[in-house]
Amino acid sequence: MSLGERGHRQVLDPETRGRFEALALPHLGHLYRLAARLKGSPQDAEDLVQETYVKALRAFPALRDPERIRPWLCQILSRLVYDGHRSESREVAVGDLAELDRFSLYDLIDQEDPFPYSDQLHRDFLARFHDGEVRRALLALPEAYRVPLVLLYVEEPSYKELAAMLGCPVGTIMSRLHRGRKILERELWECAKQRRIVRTR
Amino acid sequence: MKLTCEQAVKQFFAYLDRALSGEEFEDLEAHLEACLNCCDKLAFSRQLDDFVKHHLPDNPVPATLEARVRRALERGPGA
Repeated sequence: MSLGERGHRQVLDPETRGRFEALALPHLGHLYRLAARLKGSPQDAEDLVQETYVKALRAFPALRDPERIRPWLCQILSRLVYDGHRSESREVAVGDLAELDRFSLYDLIDQEDPFPYSDQLHRDFLARFHDGEVRRALLALPEAYRVPLVLLYVEEPSYKELAAMLGCPVGTIMSRLHRGRKILERELWECAKQRRIVRTR
Repeated sequence: MKLTCEQAVKQFFAYLDRALSGEEFEDLEAHLEACLNCCDKLAFSRQLDDFVKHHLPDNPVPATLEARVRRALERGPGA
């Protein structure tokens, strides 16, 4: 038997796998919903969940606190998506960062005043969007921005926990969450222009 | 007021995410007490967060997913 085969057998030990399945599979629904929110497509979400569980089984003997298995699985899944962005060039495709930081959807709605008779202008503006448009706007964010933002919305971790989950400094998390939201605002504004909710060209 | 509106706005997301503390938190609270425009802007940021959360996809879990994952686990990491 080769070393590789021995290693493979060890991981596939039925008792270990049984323990892993008993602990990890009850969280399949949660993991799938998170994957669907991060990836957009149901097929991609299924692939991601499968990849997460296979990777988690390999690392399972090193898990010290089995009660923390759900955040641990979420971390593995998130890192599979987040680490993917490092090899992509999309991260830089968000335009001028100083301009992005100054972008304010609130101010633009205020200036454009698309519903002059409304006494809740900003709320009425948001109400014009359909589910699919909001999801497309979110998916337009590069993974580097989308992953921390979706995790924040779904898991509600602190910045420190988020930084530990994604393996980056707290300062990076702060700036990604700030700019991620700004990109989202910009995408919604572009969508509003295309839908002629606002007149600005 | 210690903070200008521009400085206050930059802190909004950290404030909403409960990541501000100490002097930063107190300075922003003091600014918000005195600046109605920033209060409105902050309320919109909160509204937008809630709006996006509400529109996140909530796909039903495919009935075949568990069997698929179990098969993959049986095949093992090398498969």
